[in-house]
Amino acid sequence: MTRFHVVVPTRPPRRAELPEFLTDVRPGGREPEHRPAARGAELGGLDGVFVPFDPGGHDPLILAPELLRASRYLQVTAEFHPAIATPVYAAKVSASLQRYAAGRLAWQMTVDLPAAVARAHGDFLEGDARYARADQFLTIARGVWNDSPFSYEEEYFQVLDGGLPGSRVPRPFPRVYLSGTSPRALELSARHADVHVLEAGEDPALVPEGVEAAVRLPFGLGAPGAEGRLVEEIARRRDQGVAEFVLVPSAPVADVYAFAQRVLPLVGKESESVG
Amino acid sequence: MSVDVYWRIAMEGDAPALRLGDITRGGFGPYRPGSLGPGLRGGEPDGYGPLDYMAEVARATERAGFVGGLMPSFPETDDPWAAAAALAAETRAYRFMVAFQPGFLHPVQAARMSASLQAASGGRLVYNIISGGGGPQQLWWGDKVDHDDRYARTSEFLDVLKGAWNGPFDHEGRFYRVEGAGLPADLRDQPFPEVFFSGSSPAAIAAAGRHADYYLSWLEPFEALAEKFDLVRRHSDTPPKFAVRVDVLARETEEEAWEEIREGWARVGERDRTPESSGSVGWQRGRAFTAGAGDAFADLEVQPNVWGGFNRLRPGPLFGLVGDYHQVAERLNELIALGVDAFILAGVPHLEEARRVGRHVLPLLKGNTS
Repeated sequence: MTRFHVVVPTRPPRRAELPEFLTDVRPGGREPEHRPAARGAELGGLDGVFVPFDPGGHDPLILAPELLRASRYLQVTAEFHPAIATPVYAAKVSASLQRYAAGRLAWQMTVDLPAAVARAHGDFLEGDARYARADQFLTIARGVWNDSPFSYEEEYFQVLDGGLPGSRVPRPFPRVYLSGTSPRALELSARHADVHVLEAGEDPALVPEGVEAAVRLPFGLGAPGAEGRLVEEIARRRDQGVAEFVLVPSAPVADVYAFAQRVLPLVGKESESVG
Repeated sequence: MSVDVYWRIAMEGDAPALRLGDITRGGFGPYRPGSLGPGLRGGEPDGYGPLDYMAEVARATERAGFVGGLMPSFPETDDPWAAAAALAAETRAYRFMVAFQPGFLHPVQAARMSASLQAASGGRLVYNIISGGGGPQQLWWGDKVDHDDRYARTSEFLDVLKGAWNGPFDHEGRFYRVEGAGLPADLRDQPFPEVFFSGSSPAAIAAAGRHADYYLSWLEPFEALAEKFDLVRRHSDTPPKFAVRVDVLARETEEEAWEEIREGWARVGERDRTPESSGSVGWQRGRAFTAGAGDAFADLEVQPNVWGGFNRLRPGPLFGLVGDYHQVAERLNELIALGVDAFILAGVPHLEEARRVGRHVLPLLKGNTS
């Protein structure tokens, strides 16, 4: 089954200027349009949303819980880098979200931030060491999640007799999305990823065995003929073995509805005729 | 001067009554008769979860006259950031007092999450910053920094958090280093959360003097509490306000209130009446006040209506108030007279007791008339 996710906005849109003579009751405060975009994905039958880490945007660990609470079916994938928290704490926060939202949270871990962005967020680690740290992060997170007591002592993180409390609500470990085409990135994916996310130009053959392939696909459905081209592109990628699509809409809300109503039925039909 | 009254929200599950103790609400532990959030319907899980019950508590709390809720954080609880972010849209006035330990989150990440939550909630985030505790629990979290060093880290954490909040900010310290830290443009004008600062050790009191809007203590016998407040005042250039976390068991009559305690006391066996020790200085202080008390629950009433056995009936602090509505209100009024500016009240079950205390006790509170 092919799965479709859309990337939701994390920055507030420019607000339309209403003429002064119109009574303006719009609530104050400016929010990103992550909610309407996610509601479009939920109502339209898409599989999930991605909440990206954007240094200039609102934080995914706040936006993702809102979206989990505002949906019933969506997988909500929060992007973060391993310097934001200890792995035990990331696991703790995520376990609550899994309990709250029937296990619909997923993680996209970004390892390779631009140096200036990393330093502004307190991270001065460079090169391969970042992959070693990500490996330790994911090892501990999964360890305290599944085993109790769990102990682990490594260079970047440690835990002694850890282990999350049991839950009568199922709390599966978040589905893990990783990316990158360097040997270290692919090695990390082989060890920890459920899904490896490729950029449009990257070769699906790189994705390690046992890991699903996903591709990031910018799209817009404003222009005539756009949906035909998108359907073809999706079919071509499926033939290459891509199982998940991380769609990046040009218009955060309109394109989500357009995709749900005009593209999804076509790619659904295709998969039926193929299978 | 106005007094802010918060009501705790249970993050570790909730029981149907203090005297019963079984955690049936909120999805920890197995299903039991009467379990809810989730419950069983026709033998199958009903599709509701812990957050559905917590949402009820939060809504009841804001309607009952409280300003918001303390969301505690321990190994056995759910996480307050997750809960606050998920519940922001389901409440209007409720302030989310998020408990967290500096060191688990990077301060720049804490700044980003805080400002994002301020934007989502209309400025309803409040911090409860915890630094102490310790022992095996600290290693459970994967934190190896020593007790007293954790207060140094807390100070530096708050410096970096505030620096990033008002960024751009460069810093090179003992625990943290950042270069050009700041918030996204549209989050830069968010109000900085009020800081409730906990800790009973000397290191905590020194750090509180620098960073606390409110110095938060568990309830203790009133004289000891007054001394503690004095100590904090002496260690601060600008003294913080004072807040107390108080369990309340208030009923129409005093007999009814003590009957609840008596039944709870009978429920817990002898072993559970001697709880395991904790590395927390606040906890050890509490134990010292009840040392030498006999095995009868009445021995733990250290002054009228102040009972030091709550920890035997549910996890958490020792002291709380037990009495009729007027007595409990009178003790709270005495605390206000001692200089208390904010309360975090709690009772089991958190939902029904929020409604009860809001209806019967809050109306009897008097401001500081001195």
